[in-house]
Amino acid sequence: MSGTRVTAAMRMGVREQCRRPLLLILLVVFPAYVVSRSIAETEATPHLIGLPGGATVMTSMKELHGAVMAGTAIAFAAGLCGVFVMQSALAGDRRLVLAGYRPGETVLARLAVLAADTALVVAVSLAVTAAYFTPAAWAPFIAAAVLLGVTYGALGALLGALLDKLAATYLMLFLVMTDLGIVQNPMFGDGEPAGWAVLLPGYGPTRLMVDGAYSDAFHAGGELVLGLAWTVALGAAVYAVLVRALGAHGS
Amino acid sequence: MSAFAAVGGSFVREHLRTRLTLALLVAIPVFFVLIFASVLGEFAKALGGTMSGNGATSAISAGWAAAFLCGALAFFQVSSSRGADRRLAAAGLGAARVASARIAAAVALGIVVSAVAFVTLWARSGIAHPWHAAAAILAFALIYVGVGALVGALIAAPLEGSLLVVLVFAVDAFSGPSMTSSGGILAHGPTRDATNLLIAAGTGEPSPGGDWLAVGAAVLLALAVAFGAFWLAARSRS
Repeated sequence: MSGTRVTAAMRMGVREQCRRPLLLILLVVFPAYVVSRSIAETEATPHLIGLPGGATVMTSMKELHGAVMAGTAIAFAAGLCGVFVMQSALAGDRRLVLAGYRPGETVLARLAVLAADTALVVAVSLAVTAAYFTPAAWAPFIAAAVLLGVTYGALGALLGALLDKLAATYLMLFLVMTDLGIVQNPMFGDGEPAGWAVLLPGYGPTRLMVDGAYSDAFHAGGELVLGLAWTVALGAAVYAVLVRALGAHGS
Repeated sequence: MSAFAAVGGSFVREHLRTRLTLALLVAIPVFFVLIFASVLGEFAKALGGTMSGNGATSAISAGWAAAFLCGALAFFQVSSSRGADRRLAAAGLGAARVASARIAAAVALGIVVSAVAFVTLWARSGIAHPWHAAAAILAFALIYVGVGALVGALIAAPLEGSLLVVLVFAVDAFSGPSMTSSGGILAHGPTRDATNLLIAAGTGEPSPGGDWLAVGAAVLLALAVAFGAFWLAARSRS
């Protein structure tokens, strides 16, 4: 019974998204434009970067931009989806709870909608990246892109549940720009993030992405675990906050 | 006039009621100028742009902070206030005065954000032509009030609208003449001339009169567009 209700709520959520053609267009156009334009515009000037495991590699800014820009675009789009999918959950799902749904069921359905949006953005970003840049190992590269989408989608959802929409939007965009655009970005400085960058959610996935981009062998086990830990922690926090918010209003 | 001032003041308070929003309106320009300026020169060089030097990169990061914050603010002002503004207009204030009060609130918040960005810029690296820089940063803010309000007039949904504002910002910021050498139609974004003014102010170069006229025209057009967007949102549908 519970599974059927969750499936029904999920179906309604996905149908609601499909009724918004502009959203689907933007979720395709935004990452496609940002990734393709960034790579196409960048000069092929040489740049030395450090890989997980301690190796260094001489690459070009153009290749490097190809390697990391998908992550930034994914995080921006998934983060904003997270903010507003959860804002609408708080507005609409209280009625479902009053009608007899358990808060956890409605939250699972909303998380599935967020996952669908994130999957679309990840797929578009990777497809566009593949047109310009071929990673040395696709598996860690794809895993990093998915991790970034899920982590920032969850972070956006958490902010959307806790803050008003303007503050959540500002904070989401600022976090992505700072974490992925600057602190983790190997295009700047000596090509490796500073030591304190490990404290931010983008560290694990970005290092995993750089490893997949430039190395056939896998050296980013610790970074993968760190990225997964952020995802699990943020996912659990989103679930708990939303269940509590919906439950409090539904009781 | 007093009703207009009261409504305009309440529109400002509407956004500042959330303490975190107020804190972010102050903190984000500071962080933009302090953090982003350090890497913008490297980024512009990677894209084949001409911007280099501490003065130019610090100055442009201040402009972008003002633009980004005011664009999102204006979008949410239009998209989330339709119902309330229609009721205010129908209650006797009129759509034009509601729109004017909204513009006044957006401009007031734009001035606050621009002032924070300007002071941070001055404290961080000094400014060769401070008054030019102040005017250019405010121009960034007001131009994006127009962009955000226009998006808000066309799109009510917050996710679609905020994505579009970010997309316009990304196209405009990274296609400008200082960031890329490729030119093309995208290099003629809404803040192109304000960018030239701001970089000149940061590096101590003189600014041609044509740039000032172009920026003035862009600001007037943006405010006219914003007024139209707020008026459309407030007018009665009957």
